[in-house]
Parts: sequence; structure tokens; C-alpha cells
Amino acid sequence: MIRRTLTIEVFRFNPQTPDIKPYMETYTVKEVPNMTLFVALNTIREEQDPSLMFDFVCRAAICGSCAMLVNGRPRLACKTLTKTLPSHIKLLPLPVFKLIGDLSVDTGTWFRHLNLKTQAWIHTDKTFDPKAIEERMDNETALKIYEAERCIECGCCVAGCATANIRDDFLGAAGLNKIARFMVDPRDKRSDQNFFEVIGTDEGVFGCMGLMACDDNCPQELPLQMQLAFVRRRMAMTGIFGGK
Amino acid sequence: MLLQKLIGRNQRLDAYLDVAEFLSGLFLVGFLWTHMLFVATIIFGTKIFNKVPAILDATYISYVGIFMVIIVILLHMLVAGRKIPANLQDQLIIWRHARRLSQKDTWTWVFQVVTGISILILASIHIWAILSGWPINAQISAGRVQETFFWFYMLFLVVCEYHAGIGIYRIAVKWGWIHRQKVGKVLTVITCSIVILGLAALLIFRFVIKAGGAP
Amino acid sequence: MSLFNIHLTDVLVIGAGLAGERAAVEAASFGCDVTILSLVPPRRSHSTAAQGGMQASLGNCAKGLGDNPDIHFEDTVKGSDWGCEQDVARLFVNVAPIAIRQLAFWGVPWNRVVAGKRKLPDGSIIEELKEKEGLITARAFGGTAKWRTCYTSDGTGHSVQYTMDSIVVKLGVTVHDRIEAMALIHDGERCYGAVARDLRTGELRAYVSKATVIATGGYGRIYGISTNAVINEGTGMAIAQDTGVVPLGNMEAVQFHPTGLFPVWILITEGARGDGGYLLDKNEHRFMPDYEPVKKELASRDVVSRCMIQHMRKGFGVETDMGTHLWLDIRHLGAKHIHTNLREIDNICKNFAGIDPVKELIPVRPTQHYSMGGIRTNIDGHAYGLKGLFAAGEASCWDLHGFNRLGGNSLAETIVMGLIVGEKVAEYTEGTEFVLPQRLVQDHMKKQQERIDKLIKASNNGENVYELRRKMEETLMEKVGIFRNGKDLEEAVHTLQDLLKRSQNISLRSSGKGANPELASALRLPGMIRLALSIAYGALMRTESRGSHAREDYPQRDDVNWLKRTLATWPEGNELPELSYEPVTITELPPGDRGYGEASQSGKSKE
Ligand SMILES: Cc1cc2nc3c(=O)[nH]c(=O)nc-3n(C[C@H](O)[C@H](O)[C@H](O)COP(=O)(O)OP(=O)(O)OC[C@H]3O[C@@H](n4cnc5c(N)ncnc54)[C@H](O)[C@@H]3O)c2cc1C
Ligand code: SF4
Ligand code: SF4
Ligand code: FES
Repeated sequence: MIRRTLTIEVFRFNPQTPDIKPYMETYTVKEVPNMTLFVALNTIREEQDPSLMFDFVCRAAICGSCAMLVNGRPRLACKTLTKTLPSHIKLLPLPVFKLIGDLSVDTGTWFRHLNLKTQAWIHTDKTFDPKAIEERMDNETALKIYEAERCIECGCCVAGCATANIRDDFLGAAGLNKIARFMVDPRDKRSDQNFFEVIGTDEGVFGCMGLMACDDNCPQELPLQMQLAFVRRRMAMTGIFGGK
Repeated sequence: MLLQKLIGRNQRLDAYLDVAEFLSGLFLVGFLWTHMLFVATIIFGTKIFNKVPAILDATYISYVGIFMVIIVILLHMLVAGRKIPANLQDQLIIWRHARRLSQKDTWTWVFQVVTGISILILASIHIWAILSGWPINAQISAGRVQETFFWFYMLFLVVCEYHAGIGIYRIAVKWGWIHRQKVGKVLTVITCSIVILGLAALLIFRFVIKAGGAP
Repeated sequence: MSLFNIHLTDVLVIGAGLAGERAAVEAASFGCDVTILSLVPPRRSHSTAAQGGMQASLGNCAKGLGDNPDIHFEDTVKGSDWGCEQDVARLFVNVAPIAIRQLAFWGVPWNRVVAGKRKLPDGSIIEELKEKEGLITARAFGGTAKWRTCYTSDGTGHSVQYTMDSIVVKLGVTVHDRIEAMALIHDGERCYGAVARDLRTGELRAYVSKATVIATGGYGRIYGISTNAVINEGTGMAIAQDTGVVPLGNMEAVQFHPTGLFPVWILITEGARGDGGYLLDKNEHRFMPDYEPVKKELASRDVVSRCMIQHMRKGFGVETDMGTHLWLDIRHLGAKHIHTNLREIDNICKNFAGIDPVKELIPVRPTQHYSMGGIRTNIDGHAYGLKGLFAAGEASCWDLHGFNRLGGNSLAETIVMGLIVGEKVAEYTEGTEFVLPQRLVQDHMKKQQERIDKLIKASNNGENVYELRRKMEETLMEKVGIFRNGKDLEEAVHTLQDLLKRSQNISLRSSGKGANPELASALRLPGMIRLALSIAYGALMRTESRGSHAREDYPQRDDVNWLKRTLATWPEGNELPELSYEPVTITELPPGDRGYGEASQSGKSKE
């Protein structure tokens, strides 16, 4: 097998040294079998440029830390095999989120804020009884909740979303999917009216223009189209008829 | 949230607007497709073609209809247009974003804005032409097409059907239950058939029907 | 130092994984003001990577009927090879069912029992009871007598972490992410918090608290080949050891997971074998029944890992230019099962190895996975040596796991221990006066600042941090791995001692300013090497085999001399850890035969 030499162009900017304007820096690395961008970037850091900033944690597409624009598209770098890319690779940090430096962005703060805004926890007036057995739940329901809960808060959907790129208060597909997760959960006692107050506006479900960049770019392959439509129908009914 | 927004805003406004966009879009697509089917009756000859406006006129549907369509077009323009970024900076962001992402659906939205605006202009010309040459019959239409409007209608046809096709696709994606790959395929077939019908009708008007004034 | 860099709080929790967040929630619910520090946003902690599940003896599913805390206790103690604290294990198994149900109450979508008959991959038929329908179900895991591992499809850790964090958000607990604790502030008697570095800006800050909880997870990454996340570098344990007074317990007890995906070392969860997957050798022969006729692939991890290594040593491994491996076969489970219940495995195989497990075999090899050792605490989670210092989760040595942890017991431990420690911490802070020892804080800040300045100023002909690090990883992997012997261990200790010296002479090749990643590595490395030395030296001294600690030169468990726990402290200036030993608490189950593994077949010559 002939090994390719990859040319990797990386966005460089450190907000701590604002005098140095953003620029693109080019590195070359030898490709190895099953090489991912995780391996490539670490090789660059260890052998060529130890100041290069990027984020990896699980390196197994589980934690959602490593999203970046790979040749323009939001991708998890750890699960992007270089063999699926041309030999010239351009890496940019995710838009929308606050830049920490080079390829590293602050998705964590954004998502914490989102979770606060959507109050993404089970709302119930019950108290836990340590002596009782658990409340029963249909396995189907459990699976349905889990299907939405699989979101890893990587931000790919948000970065790909045209709306989120111009409206900084837009909740994005990840936020609406979160709402869907709690809507289908029988333990959550919020009414549709309660949800409507949070997402029944252009910041929420009615801001979405249905461009499906989220659906195309979600590394977890969440059924975002279905989730968004589900939420939109429920919220439109609530908006017009005042909820069930 | 800013206080002035909190107290000043109508909680339900955004929901109403989105539903209005959905309904007006649906109505216009329905109108456009039936309209094209009516026009395409020319394939079966001028007699049948001429019957359609006659019936519509007799039942007053055309008078109310045209008026309604104009209103809905304006409404649709307002509600759908609310999502077009108001300032240049944001427009540039969207443009750059679409280029970088090179994702089909984002591009189609950009085109939707462009075609939407062109339709506004083209449709006004079309309506003006129809109304100024009232009533509707095959001979008058053929006259229009043969005199000056052939290329105009070619363009209008394609732009309208494209906008309608994408529009109804977007509606299905936003509100429907069906996976969008499937929706996309079905709608491509429908849109192509309608465009072909329209082209056939146009060609017939251009080359087959004898032009003339009132019968 | 200005007072502006000081953050005051009742309880400082270092680490936002499951253990940290569970402890924080508990303490906050008692009214404490809690601050959590984390290297990464909480939901990116390594706990999210746990796919398999969490043990609690609910006894709802067909193969778990009749389960109870006693059986769970027995499995845990046997699994630990009698190395665990039995009073701790008892407490743990009793609280686990409550903790799991509380998680259900908070929102974890546990998979539930579906009534009806069902065929297992081995052909047997089981029937789930109607009266149990809708209750939390469980799957099989290695080393357990009953099916006891509760799960949410393939994302248990993810679901539980997201739910815990939702409670943290709900309660409004302060979380500072991208902050690394670098040193504990202490006077040799009491802990007053920690000095931390902001990984966004590189600035130092002091967090001063009444009580400090270390919940920083494992140290997997000091081994070159590990299933752990890249942030699992053991810094929490290192800063505790760095105080010179807090001992680390049983550092030589390191768990290897049988099935790391070759050669990227991403974990293929035990669920694959629990659901009926086989291990095959190069002839596609299922070899585990030859070694373990009863438990087969589901013997405890240490046993399966050793069988695999033995089998490869006998020449049955698949040779490649990147090393030797064996196969994992889940094809017979069927596409539907793989695409739903084992979806994560399916994704991992596709994304990282280009393999379709429905049709192809998966290359696997034992891989470093878990650290049983850690900051030694009493049953309340209070660390030995310093008042006001607590530990929880994988970073601690509460000693539930002894010399081998059962799969599914560590997630359960994080939650149960977090719960208990949180309450104890609340109790402790209740009875403690807040003090701000300005001088002490200032000294500790200064010391850390000097370390940073020294690294930044160092001439550029010193040591390369990545080179030293690689050497450390290789040394551990080659000489302190699954099978150990006196000669290798001695060499490892020497090499590591040399590396420790060289690590004092690191020079950076980048500026080191701000949030520089090279500087961060350089600051961590000496602590990591000290951990490595504690492991290697502890292993060298322990002249027996127990659980995951397998000495080729001492293949038998030796209860007469070694039914005890290693404690490794590191007084300042020492070149090696100071080892001492304490007895293991045995309350219910005297040492005996595990029922699987080498001890139970001593005399049998399966070799
Ligand atoms: C791939 C994999 C799969 C697993 N599967 C299972 C399973 O199925 N069942 C099971 O029971 N167990 C499983 N385990 C083990 C289990 O996941 C871990 O033991 C457990 O999650 C550890 O939780 P923790 O809270 O102690 O630490 P972690 O979740 O690792 O969290 C550590 C936290 O500490 C922070 N931190 C670390 N150092 C510092 C510092 N210096 N300053 C500030 N913050 C710091 C980190 O940011 C992080 O938030 C698995 C482990 C792995 C590697
Ligand atoms: S459908 Fe489009 S506008 Fe809506 S969230 Fe997804 S990317 Fe954004
Ligand atoms: S919905 Fe998908 S793309 Fe968006 S944050 Fe979650 S996992 Fe990432
Ligand atoms: S590093 Fe965790 S998703 Fe890529």
C-alpha cells in the first residue's frame, strides 16, 4: 500500500494574544492505517507543534468533545478516518461557540446554559421513597426516551444550523431534541403549556427553518427531523388551541 | 430576556406566524398545481381548455380566487420572508455558511429566497398580463406566448414549480411524519411531471394553437 | 497574591464524573455550598463511556430471580479475591438497589422487563414474569451468579451521567470546568482546599474549603494501551500522594479488560460476551471452555485476560505487523440484536476499524482498564492522613474491589459511594469551622507558580515531555502488565526512577504561555511517574498472585502472608514510595476458592 502524505491546514488563533491575527497553518503527516484525526492531530502536537490546542477526551465518539469543521463540515474528529478524506484537509473550529484557542471551543458552557434554559431535568412533585420499589415503565417508553437522550452535546447540529449562526439565542436541534426527550417521559409532569413557554417562540421551535443541516451532521444519527417535527406539531397545537 | 420583550411580546405570535407560513404555503402549492393542471388541459384541445375558465367564471371562482391568491401571496411573502436576515452582515454569514457547509438543504433555502423574490416580480407581470387581456381563453393565451412572453413563461414555470416543490418538501419535513429522503423522491417526481406538463402546454401554445383575439 | 484569586466554598469536589457529581448533589441537598472542579464539562467525564451497566440486586429479570444483597456480596468478595473490605462491600450491596431506584426517579431510562418467553443465544429458553413487567431489568456480566447488571441499552454511563448532571444543574451547584487541581492546600494535618490552574487562560487560583473531595477517576493513561479517556491521568491520586501524608492503597491492583479493540484500544463492552459473544483464536476455535469449562467467556476479567494472554503465548494468536490479537465473535447474535442492544459496539467497529460485526470477526486483546487502587479512605470516604480530605469513585480505594473489580460494580460504586461520602462530608462541614489560612494558601500558590515559571524559563536542551511519557507508558505496559515477575518489575522500578529524575529537567519547546497543552503535560508528568512507581514497586514487593496481580514467580495466592493491603505514601524528597501494610477487614466470608480462575483448578493441568 502506498502511504499518502496528508497536508493538514489548521486554523490558529489564541484569544489570549489578540495581536496575532487568525491565520491558517499547514502541517504534513504521514498517513498510517486506520488513522483518525485524533491520531493525526496528536502526532502533530507531539512531534511538530506542542502549542496546538484541540480537545479530545474519550477518543471513541462518546463524549462529544472533539467536534470541528473538517473540510467545512461539522464532524467528530476522533471518529473521522483520514482515509475517508482527500489528502488536503482543512480544519476549523466550530462556529457559533466561543473560541478558546485554535480548534478548541467552549461547547460546555453553551450546553450548560441550554440545559438551564430548557430546564432539562425531570419535573415532578413526588419525593423519592427509598423503601419503595421503582415505578413501572413500559420498556418501549424507556427505549424512546433513550433514543433522544443519546445526544452527546457535541454541537455539530448547532454549528451546521444556519439559524443558529445568525441568532445567538436559538436553542438549536440539540435543545429541541432535549425537550422532546422530556415530553415523552411520563415521569416529567410538565404540561404542553409549560413547554410552550420555553420553546414556543422563534428562539425555540418556530425559529427552525427546517434546513436539516442538523439531521445531516449529527454524529449520533439522532432522528432529528422526526424529533423537530414532533415538537413543532405539539407546540403549534398548544399555541393555537391552548394545549391539551 | 430584555424586559421590554418580556412584557411587550405576544407569547403566541411566533406560533401563529409559523402556522400561517405553513398554511399559506400549502394553499399556494395547491393553487399552483391545480392551475398547471388546468393549463395543461390544452393538450386535449382548445375546447376543453376553454371550458375550464368558463366554468370558473360562471361559478365566480376565478374572481374570488384571483383576489384570494393575491392576498395569500402577499401574506406568504410576509411570513416566510420574516426569516430572511434583515442586515447585510447576517446575509453574508448565511452565504458563507452555505458555501462552507455545502449541504443541499441549506443551499435550497438560499435559492428559495432568491426564487421567492423573483416570483414576486414575475407573478405581478403575469397577473397584470392576464388581467389586462381578460378573459382567459386559448387564443389569447397563445397570442401572449407567441408575441413576447414565451421565454418569460418558460422561466416563470421553472421558477414557480421549483419554489413550490422545495416549499412543499420543506413543509413536509418540518411538520410531517415521513422521512425526508422519501418525501424528496416523491416530490421530485411530482415536480418534474408538472414541469413537463407545463412545458408541453407552453409548446402547444407556441406552435400549435392559432393566436387570436376574443373568439 | 491578591485575594481575588481565591474562591471560598463549604465543599470542594474535584472531579465531575459520576462519583463527584453524586457526592456534590448529596452534600448540596444537606444545604452545603458546593463547588465542583473538572478538567472538562461534566458531561464529557469518562463515566459517560461506561456502556455495560451497573450492578444492583433487584432480581426482576428471569435470570436474576431470587437475587439479593447477600449473593451480590459473595460475588463481590470472590471477585476481589478476598482483597476487599467486607464491611464496605456489605454497605455497598445493601445501598445499591436504593441508589439505582433513585436514579430511576431522577430520570434514567433503565431498560425494563418485558414479560414473555425469550430464546437466548445459547438456545435455552427463559420466561420473564408478568408480575415483574415494567420493572428494571438486568443483563449478565462476568463473575456474577445472577443477572444483575442494570442498563440503558448501550449507554448506561452516558444516561446516568446526564441524569446526575441534570440534578446538578437543577440544584444550581457551581461547576467550574476546564480547571485542573494541581495541589492540595494542607498543613500536614488538615486539608484546606486546592490550588488549581485555569485551562482556558493558564492562570492559577486557590479554592479554599472546609472539606475537599477527590473524585478524579482512574489513571489508565499512564499505561500506553488503555481503554480510558485521554484525561484519565491520575492527577487526583497524584496530588493526594504529593502531600506526603496521604497513602494510596493497593496500587499494584490494575485491571485489564479482555476485549479492547485492536489496535485503537477502544473498549468492546463486556455486554458483548454477556449477551453471548465468543472468543476465538486464529483457528476460529472457541478456546475459553478449555480453560474455564463452567463460566467460559464470563469468568471474571482477570481470569479471562490471563487465559487470552496464555493462549496467545502458546501461539494461537493472530499475528499482524502491529502485534498479536484474538477474535471476538458476535455474529450469531443476529443483526437485529447487534443493531439495537449492542449498537455502540456496532458503531465502534464500523467507525474505528472498518468492520461490520454482523458479518465479520472483531480483533481484540486485553487492555488496561481500571484502577482498583487509589486514595485510601475509611468506610466514610474520609482519606487516611488528612482531616477534611475525602475521596470517591475510581480515584479512591474505599476498598470495594480488592484485587479485581467486577464489571458493573464500579459505576454502582460511584453512585453508592458518592451518596455516602456526600452525606459524611455534609456532617463533617456541619461540625467544622471555616478557616482561611492566608499564609498557607499563599505558600502553596507560590510553589505551584514557581514550578510553572521554572518550566517556562528552562533552557531548551532539557528533556522532552512526550518522550519521557512514552517511555513511562512502555515500561508499565511491558513490565508491569498482566503477568509480572521479579526481574521485570525490578527493571521497571529502575527505569521509572530514572524517568522521575529526568522529569525534573523538562524543557518546553513551545512558549508555555496561557493555556498551553505542553506545559499542562509537563506539570502532570512527575506525579504520573510517581504513580507508576507506586504500582511497580508495590507489585515487586507483593510476592503472591491475587486477582489481577499475577506473579509468574509466585503463582499462588498466599493468605498467610499477604491477606493485607499495600499503602504507599511518598514523603517529600523520597526516590521511592514508602510502603506499609494493613490487614484486610473480613467480617463474613473467610478466604476460600473463587470457583473460577487458576486457584480453583490448581493441580489440574489445563496448560
Ligand atoms: C471504556 C470504559 C467502560 C466502562 N464500562 C463500565 C461498565 O459498564 N460498568 C461499570 O460499572 N464500570 C465501567 N467502567 C468503569 C467506570 O466507568 C469508571 O470507573 C467510573 O465511571 C469512574 O467514575 P469517576 O466518577 O470515579 O471518575 P470519572 O468519570 O473518570 O471522572 C473524573 C472526573 O475528574 C475530573 N478530573 C480529573 N482530574 C482532575 C483534576 N486534576 N482537577 C480537576 N478535575 C479533574 C475529570 O474532569 C472528570 O470530571 C468503564 C470504564 C471504561 C474506561
Ligand atoms: S432544521 Fe435547520 S434550522 Fe432547524 S435546527 Fe436543524 S439546521 Fe437548524
Ligand atoms: S443532536 Fe446530535 S449533533 Fe446535536 S449535539 Fe446532540 S449529538 Fe451532537
Ligand atoms: S473525543 Fe470524545 S467524541 Fe471525540
